[in-house]
Formats: sequence, structure tokens, C-alpha cells
Amino acid sequence: MNHARHARAEQLIAQERVEGISQAERKWLAAHLQECAPCTDLARQTDQALRSMRAAAISFPSGLASRTQFRVRLRAQELREREPKRRALWLTCAVSWIFGVASAPYVWSLFQWFGQHTGAPKLVWELAFGLWWTLPALFVVAVLLMERVHQGDEPAWMRQDR
Amino acid sequence: MRDPDLLDRLIEQYQFRLFRYLLYVTGNKERAEDFFQETWIRVLERGHQYDGKSKFEVWLFAIARHLVIDWHRSKKPQSLDTLTDPEREHPLQLVNENAVSPLHQVLSQENEEIVQTSLQKIPAIYREVLVLRFQEELQIDEMAGVLSIPLSTVKSRLYRGLEALRGALQQGPA
Repeated sequence: MNHARHARAEQLIAQERVEGISQAERKWLAAHLQECAPCTDLARQTDQALRSMRAAAISFPSGLASRTQFRVRLRAQELREREPKRRALWLTCAVSWIFGVASAPYVWSLFQWFGQHTGAPKLVWELAFGLWWTLPALFVVAVLLMERVHQGDEPAWMRQDR
Repeated sequence: MRDPDLLDRLIEQYQFRLFRYLLYVTGNKERAEDFFQETWIRVLERGHQYDGKSKFEVWLFAIARHLVIDWHRSKKPQSLDTLTDPEREHPLQLVNENAVSPLHQVLSQENEEIVQTSLQKIPAIYREVLVLRFQEELQIDEMAGVLSIPLSTVKSRLYRGLEALRGALQQGPA
């Protein structure tokens, strides 16, 4: 009985419990355990430790489940109440966006006319038009940022795209 | 998942498993209770992200674990893996070994005392995988999902954890 056989047996004892072993390995291990008392002890101790772990009793705090259920219901109500406001906000953004796209050529002409009449440089009234155009988008970004700050960042681990 | 009745049932179904997991990970009863409640609030808020491809408990434990990690990060600007790596000079000890552990207090059965005391001696990073594998009976790939680590790392932690548990048991409860 050499050291290598004990080392292999020790490894297989752990492997069997962690990820399983092949039929041949199981046969070899069984044969080894029949003739090796220390390895048999090791296997028994391992099983005993795992059995005790599985059987460990934990006293669950009384009222924790009901307290949690109450909190969850409160939060659910909060979210439900917030939902119509959110929908209205998105609807407003969408309408504003559509209106912006549809009216862009007219607004461009208006800015052009205003620039010509006031003698403002072309770059200035073009920038003013650009600013007008990006205002709704900036508003949406601001709202989204505020929501993220309010709810906390959504970590990548929560998305189930692993 | 925004249906409170459904969540009520899920809370009842998974309460013991989630609390036990949190208790082992945090080593503190009060903290485990806080994380327990926060986990279910997160489930409510992010429930639409659960796609049903993996077991619900895998997703649930991942949420719980990351709440604990976020909490640790807010305390110290390091990652939990770094803090819990037992090979580093100052691994995080989630359990205060100088005090009578609340974990120990709530583990009620006397005949389990030796095993539970031994478990507390094991670094949190190994204790966690042992709990997930042998108490929660998750598969190794499911554990990799919960812990966000490769399968090979899960396995090596399990082997080391098992070895550490056996070592701690041989030392006895003293």
C-alpha cells in the first residue's frame, strides 16, 4: 500500500461527493476502502460531516416571513401607484419627439428667418436650432438618470444573460 | 413577479433556505434578517428579469449574495472575493470569532454543535460553497451562476472547503 494509492483514494472520496466519479473509479475506491482502515475512516468522517451539515437545524425568526410579506406588499403598491405617472411621462416624451421630428423643417426655417432678420451669425442660429432639437432628448436622459438614482443601479449580475 | 400573492407563496416556500444561506454567508442573525427582506424587495422590483431558464432559487441566491457583496463594498472599497480570499494576508472574517456568534446561537440542535462550530472556523468563501452544494443541493453549474465564477473555481473551492471542514472537525470544537 503506497502513498500514491492513499492520495488517490483521498482525492476520489472528495470527488465522489463534489462532482461524482466513474464506475471504474468507484470500483477501485471500494476495493481500496475494504483493505485500508485510514481511508475508510476518512470516507466515514466526510460522510458524517456532510450528513450533519444537511441535517443542521436553523430556528427561523418568528414573524420574519410575515414582516417581509407586508413590506413586499407595500412596495408593490408603491410601484403600482407610480406606474401611471411613468406611462404618462413616456407618452409625453413620445408625443414631444414626434412633434419635434414633424415640425423640424418649419422650425429650421423659423430659425433661419430669425437669424437673417437679427443679423445673427449662421453658426449661432444653427446652434440654437440644435439646442432646441436636443432639449426633449436631454429631458428624457435627465428623467432616466433621476430614476436610476432613485432605484439604485441595476447590476449586471441581475440580468439573466449569462 | 409583481403579484404580491405569488410573492407571498414564494416567500413561504423559500424562507428557510434563503434565511439559512444568508445566515451562513453573513454569520449574523440580524443582518441575515435585513438581507432576507431586501432580497424579496429586489425580487419584486426585478422579477421581470427572471427568465425561467434556471431554477428560481439560483436567481434568488444570486440576488441575496450580491446584496451582501454590495453591503460589504459600501463598507470597504474592495471586492468580496478579495476580502474573502483566505490566501490573502487578511481575509474577511464574516463571523466575529471573539464573540459568541449569533449563528451559533440560532443553530439549535445540540448534536450539530461540533459541525456548526467547525463550519464557523472555515473561511466564508468556502463555507458558502459547502452550504450551496450540500445543504441547498445546487448543481455545480448552478453554483457558478449564483457565485458568478467559472466552474473550475467552484470545484476548487468545494475541494478546499471539504478539506477545511474535515480539518476543522478533526480539531474539534475547542
